[in-house]
Amino acid sequence: MTGLVRQRSRAARLLQARNFVPFVMVCITAILVIMPLLRIVQISLGPEGLMAWSDVTASRLSTNLLWRPITNTMILGAFVASGCLLLGGFLAWLVVLTDVPFRRFLGILSTLPFMIPSFAAALAWGTLFRNDRLGGQPGYFVANGLYIPDWLAWGLLPTLIVLVAHYYSLAYTMIAAALSSVSADLVESAEMAGAKKSHILFGILLPVVTPALVAGGMLTFAGAVSNFAAPALLGAPVRMQTLSTRIYGMVQTGNIERGYVLALILIVAAAALLFFSDRLVSGRKAFTTVTGKGARTKRFTLGKWRWPLFVIAVALGMMTTVIPVLVLFASSMAQQSSGLFTNWTLHFWIGPAGTELAQGQAGIFRDPILLGSIATTIRLGLTVAATTMLIGLVIAHTIVRYKGTFLGNTLSQLAFLPLFIPSIAMAAAYIAMYGTSIGPIPALYGTFTLLVLAATANLMPYAVQSGRAVLSQISTDIEESAKMTGAGPVRRMFEIVLPLAVRGVLAGGTLVFIKIVRDLSLVVLLFSSTTPVLSMMAFNYAGLGFMQFANAITLVILVICLIASALVYLLQNRIQGWKTT
Amino acid sequence: MSAVDQKDAAPAIAIEHLTKRFDGNTAVDDVNINVPPGSFLVLVGPSGCGKSTLLRMLAGLEPPTEGQITFGGKVVSSGASGVQTNAASRNAGLVFQSYALWPHKTVEGNIDWPLKVAGWSKGERETRIDEVLKFLDIEALRQRYPAEISGGQQQRVAIARTIGPSPGILLLDEPLSNLDAKLRVDMRSELMRIHRGTKATSVYVTHDQVEAMTMATHVAVLRDGRVEQFGTPDDLLLKPQTTFVATFLGTPAGNLMPVSRNGDVFAFGGIDLAPVGIAPNIETAQLLYRAQDITVGKRDGRPSVKATYTESAPIAGQSMVTCMIGDLRVTAIVDGYFRAEPGAEVELCFLRDPDAVFDNAGKRVTA
Repeated sequence: MTGLVRQRSRAARLLQARNFVPFVMVCITAILVIMPLLRIVQISLGPEGLMAWSDVTASRLSTNLLWRPITNTMILGAFVASGCLLLGGFLAWLVVLTDVPFRRFLGILSTLPFMIPSFAAALAWGTLFRNDRLGGQPGYFVANGLYIPDWLAWGLLPTLIVLVAHYYSLAYTMIAAALSSVSADLVESAEMAGAKKSHILFGILLPVVTPALVAGGMLTFAGAVSNFAAPALLGAPVRMQTLSTRIYGMVQTGNIERGYVLALILIVAAAALLFFSDRLVSGRKAFTTVTGKGARTKRFTLGKWRWPLFVIAVALGMMTTVIPVLVLFASSMAQQSSGLFTNWTLHFWIGPAGTELAQGQAGIFRDPILLGSIATTIRLGLTVAATTMLIGLVIAHTIVRYKGTFLGNTLSQLAFLPLFIPSIAMAAAYIAMYGTSIGPIPALYGTFTLLVLAATANLMPYAVQSGRAVLSQISTDIEESAKMTGAGPVRRMFEIVLPLAVRGVLAGGTLVFIKIVRDLSLVVLLFSSTTPVLSMMAFNYAGLGFMQFANAITLVILVICLIASALVYLLQNRIQGWKTT
Repeated sequence: MSAVDQKDAAPAIAIEHLTKRFDGNTAVDDVNINVPPGSFLVLVGPSGCGKSTLLRMLAGLEPPTEGQITFGGKVVSSGASGVQTNAASRNAGLVFQSYALWPHKTVEGNIDWPLKVAGWSKGERETRIDEVLKFLDIEALRQRYPAEISGGQQQRVAIARTIGPSPGILLLDEPLSNLDAKLRVDMRSELMRIHRGTKATSVYVTHDQVEAMTMATHVAVLRDGRVEQFGTPDDLLLKPQTTFVATFLGTPAGNLMPVSRNGDVFAFGGIDLAPVGIAPNIETAQLLYRAQDITVGKRDGRPSVKATYTESAPIAGQSMVTCMIGDLRVTAIVDGYFRAEPGAEVELCFLRDPDAVFDNAGKRVTA
């Protein structure tokens, strides 16, 4: 019963029993994150890799391979970030700081767009605005006789709009959180000191939200830069390439080294940006936490603008959530794109093969591959949610308990590294690493295992973050009081930590599940016919011009995500009755 | 192996040369304390004095850097040999300042789990749970969750949980600091009842000297990681060995008057306070006067000093009057109800000779 721990030499201390867990976790994260990165660097430095570097950066091809795509990418990033800050900031101000009616409803509405995958919005855009430039079925407006110019149907502008519509809720969430941390006391003390409204805005509110503005801007920038679905669906058909679509194109056409080189460039660009933004705000972080207690916020009166602003906010929310989903739904039921709301048929869902519709193809629920892919997608979501949350929880626990030690610090940095790696670049790195067999490990390309590994690595920061949130509610005292009883670490984990963590784990797991189920940029490179997932099938149908199928499958994805959220919500309320008071 | 059997064999707790360093900072510095079984040892000191670290070392949650801890003759922690028995096998229980109740377990579940971990049978556990629930008078809360009961009730559950396995040593980390003033007084006597009822040796950490003086059989005053003085409450109060102890303990705390030798008297700012005979060999000193040895208003044949009145608080028919002499705060006791205009000039009269003399370093000079 007596546990002895003997002091050892400094060198041996790293391998001491108490360091075993952090050491193993550092190894796991290294294998998941560092090795694939090193592998693409290594390949890009081989003879063919060096050729690819010169092709990409300094040859006749480099304009098309690199410079134009990177220009498009940066334009998209800059405009999407500004657009998101404007919209998100406006909504956050409205919801948090004014007396606009139905504030809670507006708050929820403003967080919803991020729930809808960006390819759903892109598909909805195409369904409405597609013109006859590419042939195939035209969109709703053109089919009804409206003229839609190319710049509105394809390329940069629609991509931009779709991305803003997707990402602004992210900016909203961050700015709203920062604004609500400004307690009424702060504002009122400024008023007592005789400050005017403009003084309060520039002297108090702006400084407090600046970190959130910078962070929101950078995250939406990074999101736009690495997004694959929107530029692939709306830009690539008219040869508007971004780095993401270029990487995809290179890997698909067998120019794999060029793909790796572009992936490296994208990683460096995204990483540099996020790194500097973090630097920029890191000194100010204290602002957001100091005032965390201010539950009561000061609301400004809008007067006659109350209702007009409300209508604008609702319209924004509707256009980015309900309307795209309605368009997708109508399109999946419509025989002609000119009549979205007439002549509905269930053919695209459950119709038999060999009819005049859909070039003789059967509805999606008669397609065994698609039915299989529903199962695969759910299996992928559940597996990845389980693996990432398990790893995330253990890593978060290790980071918190080993704070300040070498292994703890290393682990914390490694775990958040994937944030700097756009998922399509992560996918490229995984092909480089596990595409061929290494020793006893067979080639994993196209397997379910590879998808799970890559997704786990990709989503690790989110899992670790929610793990930390979960564990922050479990004080050291609670664990130590369990330790005092003599319960071992495993018993403490299962009987004390896990029961307390389960609610947060479920929430984090749902987030991971939804993120992977609707992900396209990661699976698009790792996809194979043996492991089709829904998002990939929707993407392929859209590429072939079968918009109804693509839209129907997208709706299936949305429904899966909705059901998952609802189930978890119900489950959470069942298992933790003790927390309700 | 009851606590009483060991009385003559070994002290219940023996702390020898105990030292704890964190990254070069010394939190606990060469602490030596011995208490017999059944003692109620209070570790008292201002925040940051190392009392909680000392308690955590006793609990087995922190290993010492140097020195050793012996419970009933058995070494449980040792910096030199690296012996560090785990928390559970020390036969010690800890009541956390935050209570640290497991929020997902009912009151009953919280008490049950440590017994379960210790391998008690179901029957034994049920009997023991009934016992401690009754002992702490919380039978009605059995099925409640920690979030559903009040702070004072949570406190009782935390104690019930800790005494469940009948530990020989009961460690308490500022257990009353989260309770309101009235409840704190009630709980103080309740804790003493529990201490007597369990026959355990208790170690109690607090920054509140009143708790220390009322509850302890032994008090260790800690300051900057060192034991300033160790002894019974009366020892410490009547014979403080340092100015720190003299001004930390007692309600109100003692007054220290800095004086220098002037012929055959010690003088404060030109006023002769006491004959040098009480401490013949030093030039400058600090004289300890209890509050009850100072009053307001001149008395024949006793020295007095002009001071500025600041505040007064009524205590049991007397008034505790606080005045300033320059930067020096002096507390006096006046019979009856006394008030003056803040800032008014009053005469402070020293009714008796000083209780003790300390040198400039704060060490006691008189016997």
